[in-house]
Amino acid sequence: MPDWLAALLITLLKGVLVALALLTTFAYMTLIERRLLARMQIRHGPNRVGPGGLLQPLADAVKSIFKEDLRVTMADKLVYTMAPIVAIGMALTAFGGIPAGPPGSLFGEDPWVYNLDAGILALLALTSMGVYGIFLGGWASGSKYPILGGLRSSAQMISYELGMGLSILGLLMLVGSTAFVNIVEWQAQSGWMLLFQSLGFALFLVSSFAEVNRTPFDLPEAEQELVAGYLTEYSAIKWALFQMAEYVNMITASAIMATLFFGGYRGPVFLEGLIPGISGWPIIWLVVKIAFFLFLFIWVRATLPRFRYDQLMRFGWKLLLPLALANTMMTAAYLAFARGLGLWPLALLSLLGLLALFAMSDRVRVLWNRPTGRPHTDDALPTRPLGGD
Amino acid sequence: MIAFMLLGALALVGAVITITARNAVHAALGLVGTLLSVAGLFASLSASFLAAIQVIVYAGAILVLFLFVIMLLNANQPITGRDPVPFVRELAGIGGVILAGALAIIAFSYRDPRPLAEGAGALRGGTAVAVGETLLTRFLLPFEAVSILLLVAIVGSVALVKRPVPQPDGLTDAEGVALPTESPERTAPEGGVRA
Repeated sequence: MPDWLAALLITLLKGVLVALALLTTFAYMTLIERRLLARMQIRHGPNRVGPGGLLQPLADAVKSIFKEDLRVTMADKLVYTMAPIVAIGMALTAFGGIPAGPPGSLFGEDPWVYNLDAGILALLALTSMGVYGIFLGGWASGSKYPILGGLRSSAQMISYELGMGLSILGLLMLVGSTAFVNIVEWQAQSGWMLLFQSLGFALFLVSSFAEVNRTPFDLPEAEQELVAGYLTEYSAIKWALFQMAEYVNMITASAIMATLFFGGYRGPVFLEGLIPGISGWPIIWLVVKIAFFLFLFIWVRATLPRFRYDQLMRFGWKLLLPLALANTMMTAAYLAFARGLGLWPLALLSLLGLLALFAMSDRVRVLWNRPTGRPHTDDALPTRPLGGD
Repeated sequence: MIAFMLLGALALVGAVITITARNAVHAALGLVGTLLSVAGLFASLSASFLAAIQVIVYAGAILVLFLFVIMLLNANQPITGRDPVPFVRELAGIGGVILAGALAIIAFSYRDPRPLAEGAGALRGGTAVAVGETLLTRFLLPFEAVSILLLVAIVGSVALVKRPVPQPDGLTDAEGVALPTESPERTAPEGGVRA
């Protein structure tokens, strides 16, 4: 077998394995999410199919495959069919670029499906294509609520993409490379990026939630207002494909956060004393970190109510974007003037910024500041609506 | 080479769809296909930074806005009837010829800002160092001019969108503008979404 054919086959094999793993994770994520939500809301959740409800995903899969695939009269047939495929395709493709271990650590192969030089940029590009699935699905359904959901989602995702891209600029300047492996190895040398870019991480976390349309940013499918948003006219397997795309996007977002800010595929070094080489094991550390973030996604869903649309936009454009810019400027200033001092001043500055944010948030401010109603005089300055950002 | 042929063909197909499709959304999707194929071409020439930027900026942002406007204005009705502008085909033909001529002149008088091999080498490894360096040294003035141009465009669009504020009695216009009496969401780009 020639070399290129072997390389091609191995890449194909890795791609198929990653896709299978992601889809299995999706199936069980739905169960885990329902069980965890139930636990957080003091009820039982699905526990009848199989021991502890473990076969529930299987039953759901069988149901959605054999359910009748509805044809919508007003739909644009081609786009209507393509939209879920685009959504899941982009979601699965994006995950393949994330390294799950050091080069050559997976039985002598590289533990990633493809490796573009542009690394994180390429991944952001792919995830930004995911909006087409939702957007076109909403439009192609040919009815009112889906198109409203689609319009909302495109406005939301474009807005938060900016904050997302800007919030990692500081990180990229520190590392000096956009390739994932370089970012992870930099962190292995200097410590987790979370320490030095805590403000950037907070901004990235929030924008990630918005990018994957999870609560509190699930406005595209706000069921109280839009029935189910872009999903309204979809049923059976097409509906399931959209769900898959959402969960796979969640997994990808978790993996990106783990890789950029939490040391990626590297485990904690202090375990090296017990088992030598453990921090270099492929896959396992990334999976642990992804699981943590997935739990966070579910936890937030059980905790926070949905944003109102104007709050969403105000938050994205007036808070997230300027703060991300400020973070970039701060890191740039540090790199230009104070590089010789070591990394701790940057860590301190980021932490201070984050604490200031917490102190100024509406949840904390009311502790010492009585909430004010809107004054009735006409010439008073407008106050913000209570609650919200 | 195979990838180049394939992607080039795809780009052409997308371009043809863009100008022949009856439905505005289909045309925009054809354009997306073209842009993605061009990004693929960049990637196959190992200019992955350029490819990523192409996808993020054009396919991920600008075309989404395009589609957004098409859907918002419900402009996806098939075009029927006669063209409102007479001679529009002739005018388009002349414009196309001029554009092709300009592109040909650019293509044949093009000089690399750096030698191609050196530039390709510097772009390897995922850094944008070469791009940034060239932009901020050799092309600093055009770069800054573009940013000013964009700023002017943003200010202009905000000014266009802004509705006249109903003034309370006894206030001149100048005072009224100084007071932030209008809720800021009005002027923000998302104002039209709820309409």
